[in-house]
Amino acid sequence: MDKIVIAATSQVAEADLKLARLGSRFGRLDLMSQLALLAVEKLGVNFDSLPRERIAICLAARAGSLATDAEFWKGRDAAGGPSPTLFAYTLPSAAIGEIAIRHRLTGPNLCFVGDSRDVLAEAADLLRRGEADACVCVYCEVVSSAAAGMIQSTPTSNVSALFLQRDGAGQILPEEFDSDMESFCAKFRA
Amino acid sequence: MREPTPTTPPQVAIAGCGAISAVGCGVEALRSALRANASGLRTSERFNSPRFQSCIVGAVAEDFFEADENDPVYRLAAEALRQARDEAQTVLHSIPAARIGLVLATTKANIEALERISENRPCSDSARRHLQGNLLAADLAAEFGAGGKVQCVSAACVSGLSAIQQGAKIIQRGEADAVFVVGVDHLSAFVMAGFTAFKAIDPNGCRPFDAARSGLSPGEAGAAIILVRENFAPGSAIKIRGWGTSNDANHLTGPSRDGSGLALAIRIALNSAKLLPAEINYINAHGTGTPYNDAMESMALRAVFGEACPPFSGAKGMLGHTLGAAGVIETIVCVLALRDNFLPGTPRLNSPADGVPDSLVREPRLVAKLNHVLKLNTGFGGINGALILSHG
Repeated sequence: MDKIVIAATSQVAEADLKLARLGSRFGRLDLMSQLALLAVEKLGVNFDSLPRERIAICLAARAGSLATDAEFWKGRDAAGGPSPTLFAYTLPSAAIGEIAIRHRLTGPNLCFVGDSRDVLAEAADLLRRGEADACVCVYCEVVSSAAAGMIQSTPTSNVSALFLQRDGAGQILPEEFDSDMESFCAKFRA
Repeated sequence: MREPTPTTPPQVAIAGCGAISAVGCGVEALRSALRANASGLRTSERFNSPRFQSCIVGAVAEDFFEADENDPVYRLAAEALRQARDEAQTVLHSIPAARIGLVLATTKANIEALERISENRPCSDSARRHLQGNLLAADLAAEFGAGGKVQCVSAACVSGLSAIQQGAKIIQRGEADAVFVVGVDHLSAFVMAGFTAFKAIDPNGCRPFDAARSGLSPGEAGAAIILVRENFAPGSAIKIRGWGTSNDANHLTGPSRDGSGLALAIRIALNSAKLLPAEINYINAHGTGTPYNDAMESMALRAVFGEACPPFSGAKGMLGHTLGAAGVIETIVCVLALRDNFLPGTPRLNSPADGVPDSLVREPRLVAKLNHVLKLNTGFGGINGALILSHG
């Protein structure tokens, strides 16, 4: 089995969106999808180096799509009903769809609700099983004020991304680990 | 303690199933509805409002829920899991709790709580907690004695198939000997308002693969499957044979027009199961009843199977579109088909649309033997899923 390497990492927050220029559709995306797209862009990966159907996307969202859910539901009494555009983003996997569309990635997808512990392990497993040659890993901590009030949390808007691939240049992913994705991103940058 | 991964991963078998849906409580109710090609879609007073495109839905009987129920999703999930665990109790008896995992599939978890909080209606602490799918999964695991790995998968309408794949992988990696896979979603005003905004609901009730189809019918269900490592199950148990997922990378909410994404997922699944297309005996389609989905799915089937498409049918005219539960409850339909050597029909179908393969099964029928069955789902975000089940 080839070694699995962390080829790139990135981390973005809402403030980083001010300078983001990611096409005409970008403004219509929900916050989580915008941040996820920007984080993947900041990885600086050349996706042309691999067949698109061999690149997986594995994402976890700490509070699912609750921030967008709350926004959608606010519009329930609006004339004409709530926004169909927002409804499309009331699923955490919408961010996977946006990443796939932008980079034309047709490989396997995994989407979890919860913390980032499973993201790296499951992505590495996809590679070890031969289901993919590389994986875009994304962890979204996007909790709006409205959502935070519902789940007794604090508002936050951070997204980490990481690119795992079989072989190539980068830090080798240990065979066994028990760590979250943010720690790996921090270690990689150090 | 993680066991070393063997060279050939162990097979994963199905030891128990549970379901509660529009056609009743229990797997026997589902089996009876399948034999009768019955539809559980009916008018629901809960959604009889001009705010919604239709009030014809796949709802669970009202008397299942408590009056003013504020945690319906937990109630549905727990009922399905109780049934599945009962069926598998002999097998589970020999597996310690620490070796039992749980994977939950849901798209909206307890979205009822968001509606209640927004409208200042009563909402219990647990109902509020279950707004978060991972906490819903953790509470189910605690109640039902799953002390091992717990995950919550939310991949739109492919969630159920994704959860079954995850459960199988957890067992194959040696992290558990059994995994409770639970799919659940509740019919909420939130979901009804969303699909109404999309104009995606058929006002007359969905008619998958019909020439006159014009949309889906939202539904609700709890469904559970107990997966176990092969050595814990009888040799005759249905096995998870292979799977595949892909992304259309084309449109966030609309299916690809040529079916190439779903065809890719099917080919990956066939490859992982080491089967040829001609070896598939039955396909349970996603079949939402929307014009684009069913046309795309027909094209995907033709792309993989050519003019020799195996018999296929869709269950959403019976159950409605149960979202996060769909992949699990429709996999149970496949399990029943395999156990009973039976081809389920396509409830509410009148006249198949042009382009739909001729092998569409209108009415249920018995067959000599089913060996390999393919289950398909697709979802928002362009995600496609395929799962292959086989006889022991």
